[in-house]
Amino acid sequence: MRLEIGKINITDIRFADSSKIEGGVLYVNPEDLKPVVLEDDKLKGVVFDIAKPGESVRITPVKDVIEPRVKVEGKGGIFPGMIAKVDTVGSGKTLALKGMAVVTAGKIVGFQEGIIDMTGPGADYTPFSKTLNLVMVCEPVDDLKQHDYEKAVRMAGFRVAAKIGELARDLTADETCVYETCGIKEGIEKYPDLPRVGYVSMLQTQGLLHDTYVYGVDAKQIIPTILSPTEIMDGAIVSGNCVSACDKNPTYIHQNNPVVEDMFAEHGKSFNFVCQIITNENVYLADKERSSNMTAKLCRILDLDGVIVTQEGFGNPDTDLIMNCKKIEAEGVKTVIVTDEYAGRDGKSQSLADADPAADAVVTGGNANEVVILPKLDKVIGMLDYVNVIAGASDKTLRDDGSLEVELQVITGATNEMGFGRLSAR
Amino acid sequence: MVKELERAGLPVVHVCTVTPISLTVGANRIVPAIAIPHPLGNPALDKEEEKALRRRLVLKALKALETEVDGQKVFED
Repeated sequence: MRLEIGKINITDIRFADSSKIEGGVLYVNPEDLKPVVLEDDKLKGVVFDIAKPGESVRITPVKDVIEPRVKVEGKGGIFPGMIAKVDTVGSGKTLALKGMAVVTAGKIVGFQEGIIDMTGPGADYTPFSKTLNLVMVCEPVDDLKQHDYEKAVRMAGFRVAAKIGELARDLTADETCVYETCGIKEGIEKYPDLPRVGYVSMLQTQGLLHDTYVYGVDAKQIIPTILSPTEIMDGAIVSGNCVSACDKNPTYIHQNNPVVEDMFAEHGKSFNFVCQIITNENVYLADKERSSNMTAKLCRILDLDGVIVTQEGFGNPDTDLIMNCKKIEAEGVKTVIVTDEYAGRDGKSQSLADADPAADAVVTGGNANEVVILPKLDKVIGMLDYVNVIAGASDKTLRDDGSLEVELQVITGATNEMGFGRLSAR
Repeated sequence: MVKELERAGLPVVHVCTVTPISLTVGANRIVPAIAIPHPLGNPALDKEEEKALRRRLVLKALKALETEVDGQKVFED
């Protein structure tokens, strides 16, 4: 499959009378976007706001972050199976608005959502302090159940991102990148001497609003399968989860998966990037066994020499990670696993809930239990009602001077397990 | 917890969903539970069925407690 990504660099977002993109500036009339949100009768209101890098702004509770894109050539549309038809995407041409994001926020569950600071120490940890953020805080109709509210906000975010993406349809890209993978036989003929390497992407699927969707399917219900890594660039995988926001993958990170990006950079040079394998992290042991068995089998059938495995989340998914690693290695396929750590505030506890000698090549996104102080910022988009109960906070989080004492866990993307975060180690 | 109680001389059964973690951590008598959000029951079942399920689980755990083990053992059905 061959996909061109045309990048449209966005240098500013401004509210205006008419919505358009001109000279790299996104002009938005919120009145154009409100009907897109409120077409869902489960939502009764929405407030749009803009947060720019360096501003004294805190966004919370953050649900999802989405990059606006539009498909201009090739089959299908952005977010297939969710808001576009289920055509197979990942070929043709797609335009992406770089440097900006749509951020969905609201008091959906409260303890599940994350924090994005646009300045200060918090901004150093979240990748989304560097994007111009169009934030939408959605208000539900009265007595709406949490899972209906979650779905309504999730889908509204995709519709708004797609609507903004449409503004770029006739623009010329500032830069174009081409991503191309081969068929199995073609790859062997083209790169006979290169190792065959795959990417195993584990998706958060714990239920209770901790889910991920693939072409509209709840990934709890998938059996591991193969994607062309270009499919995710068109939104084939979207997020429906954000609890302990540091190591969850917002939709934006699926669209801009850094492992896929880096593997494409080496494709045809140091290895043949064969495909992406997706699997889940379910709450039943039999599901964990089945999915890891299938994943290892796919690696074998594809005759891979090695894979990179990325996890999403922590705790019991550590077992899915270790099962994948162990079983794939047992098929004679080398693995590198990418995870993060919950090693306690002092960093002295066991980092993962499970372990195995086969996991001898591990990349970490950092210790999510590390404590940081986030100073009071001038403006809050959303509300601070939940900062004491958010996962990674405590009843002592909100201090008298308005600052927050929190674990990195609360910060969206801080210890991302695809390496999208900003932490590194010597 | 499991290991400390055993160290104090009490036999322990660890009822848990993710038995591989229990094995990694070092429990000796392990009884598989239902699922991570509801280890000891299943809200998808009706009341009577669920009560029977819970009773089976407790009886199985008691049985495991009475069983002499030589190293780690997972008590499968």
